[in-house]
Amino acid sequence: MAGALERGLLPVKNVFEEVGVMMILTVKTLVSAVRPPYPYGEELVWQFLFVLKLSWFPLVISTFALNFGAPGLQAAGILSLIGGLDRLGGFFVVIAIRWIGPIVTAVVVAGVAGTAITADLGARKIREELDALQVLGVDPVKNLVVPRFLALIVITGLLDLFAIVMGLSAGIAAELLYHQSLGGFFATLFSNATITDLWSSVMVCTMFGAIVAVVCSYKGMSASGGAAGVGRAVNQAVVISLVAVFFFQFVVSSILFATNPELQAVR
Amino acid sequence: MIGWLEVPRSWLDSFGEIGSFGLKVAGQVYSGRVFKYFGEGLRQAGILIFGSALIIFAFCFILGLQCGLQGAYFNRSIGAPSLAGLFSAYCDLREGLPYAFGYILAAKVGTGIVAELGAMRISDEIDALEVMGIQPVTFLCATRLLGAWIALPFLYLVGIVIIYSASFFSVVNQVGDVSSGGYLLIFWMYQSPPDLIFSLIKGMVMATVIVLVGCYYGYTASGGPVGVGTATAKSMVFNIVAVHIIGMLGTIVFWGANPRAPIGG
Repeated sequence: MAGALERGLLPVKNVFEEVGVMMILTVKTLVSAVRPPYPYGEELVWQFLFVLKLSWFPLVISTFALNFGAPGLQAAGILSLIGGLDRLGGFFVVIAIRWIGPIVTAVVVAGVAGTAITADLGARKIREELDALQVLGVDPVKNLVVPRFLALIVITGLLDLFAIVMGLSAGIAAELLYHQSLGGFFATLFSNATITDLWSSVMVCTMFGAIVAVVCSYKGMSASGGAAGVGRAVNQAVVISLVAVFFFQFVVSSILFATNPELQAVR
Repeated sequence: MIGWLEVPRSWLDSFGEIGSFGLKVAGQVYSGRVFKYFGEGLRQAGILIFGSALIIFAFCFILGLQCGLQGAYFNRSIGAPSLAGLFSAYCDLREGLPYAFGYILAAKVGTGIVAELGAMRISDEIDALEVMGIQPVTFLCATRLLGAWIALPFLYLVGIVIIYSASFFSVVNQVGDVSSGGYLLIFWMYQSPPDLIFSLIKGMVMATVIVLVGCYYGYTASGGPVGVGTATAKSMVFNIVAVHIIGMLGTIVFWGANPRAPIGG
């Protein structure tokens, strides 16, 4: 009986263990990021450019497509029925800035850069390069994880702004499709947008970058089992990052809406 | 160091190959040649259900909570909190569920197929199949597509139940601006059976593309363990963009000209 219970609870236990190890890796990364010496400068710039060059094109297409379809056409359809197409701007503050901007940036960065990080670190782990580094006295966390962590944090915040710009241009495209003048769109957009919207969007997105970086680095560094192992590590890394990011977004937006009543005001 | 146009260029390179490979696999299923390995197809469907169903449902649940939350607060801000059902009906059925389905399938099933087939390719198992006289494309790829077509529509329909109950929970229980009866009245009024069919079509097109792209990148993997990891990463990039493009095209085709709402002329 006790054995069956233990077996049944094994997945739960494994989840808690994984989360705990990832927390430890996060703290280790933060500590070794601020403690001198700082040997990761060159790698940081390299990773930053690598992620930017890989993900700008998927990000632009994805945010435009998602914002044009989901909030653009669906909301414009309803608004054109009730004759209030100028209100689309206010709706885009809610959707494009608060919600879709950070979440799509995180999905694209997890799918593009996170998978590349896991594949890279996993291959190094399989070829025992990480062990060799440790034998040479080079700390893999400081030299490999910290630059990727910092690069992803900075770049998700920056890409979020591009996601917002592309999302709003998708809204403009939807508005033009319905032959509306853009004055109403911009008027409701700027009267509804607050500084809180923008900074919360960017802050949340940098945290998504941290989550993706830690999960993907951890999964890469703990890959095992030859060729199939690296692929499996990438698979698990993407799934865990996506679920963690979406769950985190839900918690943060619950807290944000509940603690900032000015976001709910009518303007 | 890669160039700025690396990703679009590699897509242009491989788009035709992915297309012809996908047509070949789909042709194997359509012509019935896959039914020689029907048992393998059923096994793949079983793997999908037992391996991926739980994570798909969990993801749908989180997105449903999010849809309800955003909708409830947006409708409070425009002074119509009782219309939160309108937002959740559109967000859940028409947009949210296909995207949630596409994201989590790309992450779990698509990359899983690449990792599996890529490892087979690297360890020369696919060549061994060919030597044994078994068509590898039919046995490995077409059976996976068949399994996806068998299992995923039902997972999608259960996902609808999950995402609806999650939205109900977050609008009525968490935010609590509207009573359950008022919420459900608006919620059911703003959707119709054709919407369900359209949404299912959108989700299944995404699933088909994801399985085919996964099969292509796994089948053509090369270069040792590193190659499998790189192929997995590449398939994810392609799938993410494909999901968004299909979602947009589906919305334009199904609801672009007619919002299908019970109001207006």
